[in-house]
Amino acid sequence: MSSQSDGGGSDTPEGVDLAEGIDHQVAMVMDLNKCIGCQTCTIACKTNWTEGGGRDYMYWNNVETRPGSGYPKDWEEMGGGWKSEEHAERQPGQLPEKEEYGRAWEFNHEQIFYEGSDEPLRPMDGAEWGPNWDEDQGAGEYPNSYYFYLPRICNHCTHPSCVEACPRSALYKREEDGIVLVDQDRCRGYRYCVEGCPYKKVYYNSVTKNSEKCIFCYPRIEGEGPEGEVRAPSCAEDCPPQLRLVGFLDDEDGPIYKLVNEYEVAVRLHPEYRTEPNVYYIPPFAPPQHSERGESLDSERIPRNYLEELFGPEVNEALNTIERERAKVERGEESEVMDLLTTENPAKQYRLEVFDEE
Amino acid sequence: MSEHNTHDESDGIDAARRDFLKGLGAATAVGVTGFGLGQQSEMQSLEIVDDPIGSYPYRDWEDLYREEWDWDSKARSTHSVNCTGSCSWQVYVRNGQVWREEQAGDYPRFDESLPDPNPRGCQKGACYSDYVNADQRILHPLKRVGERGEGQWQRISWDEALTEIAEEVIDTVRAEEYDAISGFTPIPAMSPVSFASGSRLVNLLGGVSHSFYDWYSDLPPGQPITWGTQTDNAESADWYNSDYIIAWGSNINVTRIPDAKYFLEAAYNGTKRVGIFTDYSQTAIHTDEWISPEPGTDTALALGMARVIVDEGLYDEAHLKEQTDMPLLVREDTGKFLRVSDVPGLSTSADRPDQMFVMQDQQGSLRVAPGSLGERDGQYDPSESISLDFDPQLSVEGTVQTTDGSAQVRTVWNNLNDELANYTPEYIYEETGVGEQTHQEIAREFAEAEKAKIIHGKGVNDWYHNDLGNRAIQLLVTLTGNLGEQGTGLDHYVGQEKIWTFKGWKSLSFPTGSVRGVPTTLWTYFHAGILDNTDPDTAAKIRESIEKGWMPLYPSERDDGTRPDPSVLFVWRGNYFNQAKGNVALEEELWPKLDLVVDINFRMDSTAMNADIVLPAASHYEKHDLSMTDMHTYVHPFTPAVDPLGESKTDWAIFRELAAKIQELATEREIEPVPDRKFDREIDLTSVYDDYVRDWQTGEDGALAEDKAAAEYILEHSEESNPSDTDEQLTFDEIDEEPKRLLATGDHWTSDIEDGEAYTPWKRYVHDKEPWPTFTGRQQYYIDHDWFLELDEALPTHKQAPVLQEKSEYPLGYNTPHGRWSIHSTWRDNTKMLRLQRGEPIVYLNPEDAAKRGIEDGDTVKVYNDLAEVEVQAKIYPSSEPGTVRHFFAWERFQYPDRQNFNSLVPMYMKPTQLVQYPEDTGEHLHFFPNYWGPTGVNSDVRVEVEKVDGGGGNQGGDGQ
Repeated sequence: MSSQSDGGGSDTPEGVDLAEGIDHQVAMVMDLNKCIGCQTCTIACKTNWTEGGGRDYMYWNNVETRPGSGYPKDWEEMGGGWKSEEHAERQPGQLPEKEEYGRAWEFNHEQIFYEGSDEPLRPMDGAEWGPNWDEDQGAGEYPNSYYFYLPRICNHCTHPSCVEACPRSALYKREEDGIVLVDQDRCRGYRYCVEGCPYKKVYYNSVTKNSEKCIFCYPRIEGEGPEGEVRAPSCAEDCPPQLRLVGFLDDEDGPIYKLVNEYEVAVRLHPEYRTEPNVYYIPPFAPPQHSERGESLDSERIPRNYLEELFGPEVNEALNTIERERAKVERGEESEVMDLLTTENPAKQYRLEVFDEE
Repeated sequence: MSEHNTHDESDGIDAARRDFLKGLGAATAVGVTGFGLGQQSEMQSLEIVDDPIGSYPYRDWEDLYREEWDWDSKARSTHSVNCTGSCSWQVYVRNGQVWREEQAGDYPRFDESLPDPNPRGCQKGACYSDYVNADQRILHPLKRVGERGEGQWQRISWDEALTEIAEEVIDTVRAEEYDAISGFTPIPAMSPVSFASGSRLVNLLGGVSHSFYDWYSDLPPGQPITWGTQTDNAESADWYNSDYIIAWGSNINVTRIPDAKYFLEAAYNGTKRVGIFTDYSQTAIHTDEWISPEPGTDTALALGMARVIVDEGLYDEAHLKEQTDMPLLVREDTGKFLRVSDVPGLSTSADRPDQMFVMQDQQGSLRVAPGSLGERDGQYDPSESISLDFDPQLSVEGTVQTTDGSAQVRTVWNNLNDELANYTPEYIYEETGVGEQTHQEIAREFAEAEKAKIIHGKGVNDWYHNDLGNRAIQLLVTLTGNLGEQGTGLDHYVGQEKIWTFKGWKSLSFPTGSVRGVPTTLWTYFHAGILDNTDPDTAAKIRESIEKGWMPLYPSERDDGTRPDPSVLFVWRGNYFNQAKGNVALEEELWPKLDLVVDINFRMDSTAMNADIVLPAASHYEKHDLSMTDMHTYVHPFTPAVDPLGESKTDWAIFRELAAKIQELATEREIEPVPDRKFDREIDLTSVYDDYVRDWQTGEDGALAEDKAAAEYILEHSEESNPSDTDEQLTFDEIDEEPKRLLATGDHWTSDIEDGEAYTPWKRYVHDKEPWPTFTGRQQYYIDHDWFLELDEALPTHKQAPVLQEKSEYPLGYNTPHGRWSIHSTWRDNTKMLRLQRGEPIVYLNPEDAAKRGIEDGDTVKVYNDLAEVEVQAKIYPSSEPGTVRHFFAWERFQYPDRQNFNSLVPMYMKPTQLVQYPEDTGEHLHFFPNYWGPTGVNSDVRVEVEKVDGGGGNQGGDGQ
């Protein structure tokens, strides 16, 4: 593969880099101003794909409170990704310890309910960390503390370092949509991919001895299933506030292209890992800080430098644009950005069949 | 580990990978559990992939996940929990078992300018299927063999269980103690057929039906006081129509997950969203301005904002004159409204001039205020009008010649102005901690917005003086005329007070029409022996209320002056034992009085654990029922995706079969009918089954044997689903195809459902000028009841709460807010949910408070006061105010080492003003009616101390490790 792609085809719109050999790239925009940390996405994903069989501890989709350590704990400090924009040399990474994920706790329901145990219903073998351990904690001091929620799936990166890490080439990126998968036949569970992914979105299954990861619900977007209906990934479709837009990055008429490339209000998480994620975020705004006399101040609550750490310097212009666009609608003017972020027209939320004619 | 990544620049990294596949030493990898020689040799024969980016040749395996995305059938259902969600789901069945669920996402849109209503749901609904097949599922009738609560059971047959219960019921009714039989089940809207199942039998038995909305302190007493209405709210879609929203103690993003979208997206529609919370809550994070008053000072803050609106002339004068009691004259000598009958020469055609009130017009003449109770036929009378043919003065101070001499009079408005003068900016800052400028600015913005709305929640409704707080906050929408239009109003979303299809539900649940309803707060308080430990003034008022019959109490006092104890309790669809305030007294005093506690449940909850007989109920995916909420205007069904698991049966079938068993045994024993001591009816146990399954409207025998027929009965007999003036009608099968919007509203609503518009209340009063169902026929901020005058609460005012625990001893305010991870106690014990928390009960502590006590995140702590102590895990929450402890709601007793729970720290306390009847003699405005008016079970004034438990350095395993 080339280190710098010019796009997958002559039709690729301006500003969109597809990995070489990829016809189209699925993508998601998640609006953090609509994320309420309810984890319906997490559960929807889990009931679809990761129940039992060594998968219980896995959260292909998880939601983290930020600032926070996340899941697995302190994943941002574990390396992975690429050393440079050339995507030539991978950044070394670490494999998370079991404790950094937390075990999928089991509970003693039966003994308590039916066998007269006087133990409390609590995780057997104790609990030290879990996928949402630091929920709602954030940082700062009352009344100027701050936190927000960050949902995460596999980014189905344009330059996936997990794919490069696999010595067996058991991970690959699909030609038709850029989804990154672990071949469950070919994988032998070496876990180089787990180590190589800077987002720690590949998981090792100690029962099957395979690594597994988010599959962008490809059976759903392909229209598999008894009803033959094309459906968005369940994390998106089941999201109560509908904070996710799903489509193709190279769909010039779609909302994702507009939010990412035209208005530049959707930004990547940790762009410095250089894997070029295809999940983008509308960065969060928050109510202003309070003075010691209980007055609302004209100062931002979430420190910009923290947001820059997460989303890179692009976050500043994104937030400024959002503020400008919000002011417009407050004055009664039209704003395409605001329209794109509301669900007045749900038909635009998921554009998964735009390239079907090809 | 970078060895296998080394490569030469010319060939790129593909070369590195190919080298590796040739068998280079990957075993040097660090941090990865190594793979053995066998695997290495296997790799040497592996087929080469040229480039896994884009051209991967071995994709047949992908069918693996495609095959997982498969099911055999689907059924539409929802969740019968005490939740306002009412979200329609599709339940997926594979190999005869429930596999998973997904939001149906097919609510039809009624207004294209609003966000799409789909999908409604949350993470809890998304894993209800766990309960269908879970460990905690109850599969067989169980009889207690150990002590209550021990978890020692004997499996018995249905026949044994029903026989034992039936015998107890028969003995109780024969002894004429039928009003010692109680049925507790909350919230009909979440599943009215299941609600009706037991209520119908209890009603036929002459037993007692319990209130819930007041008991759970979900009822905002200020609404019946001021608006004469139980509450009426806009559906959540209407939030999007607002220009300005204040979320006041309503943690929408946690407790209204399916509705949150309208609040969140309003940000992109030009709406300003203000949050008023005592912590930087999960909703505060998504507001445009957050205000953080000291806990329990919301009344002062609201009155401070009201003062700004009044002082700066930002109020809606026309609204106040026509729609409120502000221009009514009040006598200075008695504190009572000036009655028309007080004023010689003032004439009215009203039947009862002593219930008619007086205004003064611009010419200085006294005028009769139209629409007061004196000319109405009962509380609600749409044939009268409050519309004025004169212009009253808001401000009047003068003397009136009355039948008993001259009297000084002033308007309510004058009195209100005096009261508001106390709430200066300096005072507001001192009392609430909210900035002097900030609260004034918010008040101005609210008043100046075209359409402003307050979303009012449990955070402000659980305080002892909740009625005052309600009235103060309501005053803001009244002063600014924000009522009766889309995007306006005060929406109180706490619990589900009422059901759209009211009439059908009511006659299904209470076929005799003679209902023994009881305020559960008073019933619990009395029978748990709390009255004996109440301060003498309050106790005297409680006794007076009972004696005067203002509040009913059962079993009723007998002719000889004795009052029996309650003896039989049925609990279904609820968790009374776990959720009771005054939990310690309930367990120690009330519970031992009960001879038989029957719990009907799909899971073992704390009430089931403390019952004598547990009957296995069908899960939500195994029955027919209906689902509604006042958060939206749709109705949709439960339908069975699978048959009831094990020996479980639907609620309807369980109570039907119990009725059959009672009838069978009573017939065998030739039990004579028992006359009812209160109602003109006989309780005939030999026909109780026939009466249960008979359609009392048509007289058809056996018509209501099945739950689906009962659901159809409700739809058939309700104005909302079968309007009287059209041929349109909603049927069960239609709503199974797709949720349908309700067609009309009955007279328990205050507006109509209109095409293309979100439902918004109060139009019948504000637009149609029908009298408000209050004493005065107007929004009534002045209550001239003797007790209100005596307690200095005729107008909304800010008062300190009674001291339950001394601050010096118990320095921390204790609060039990509704959390994200459960709907009350349902899902509290769910493994999936627990894994996304810390697996056990936690308290949120401010870092400063924790540090002072040497507590670190994850430590085991005890939270205690004079009532009890509970052992839980500490979680550090920087967004809480120092001096507060949050212990999220509804952890089950069996999740604590000593079987106490979050409610063990909460005493029961009742406020006398919520036990009144008004007018005192006739009670049309305020009278006990279940869930409309009665004492609220408040719980937020409690104080505690927290201490680290020695050796509690972290989570202790449930198995003691």
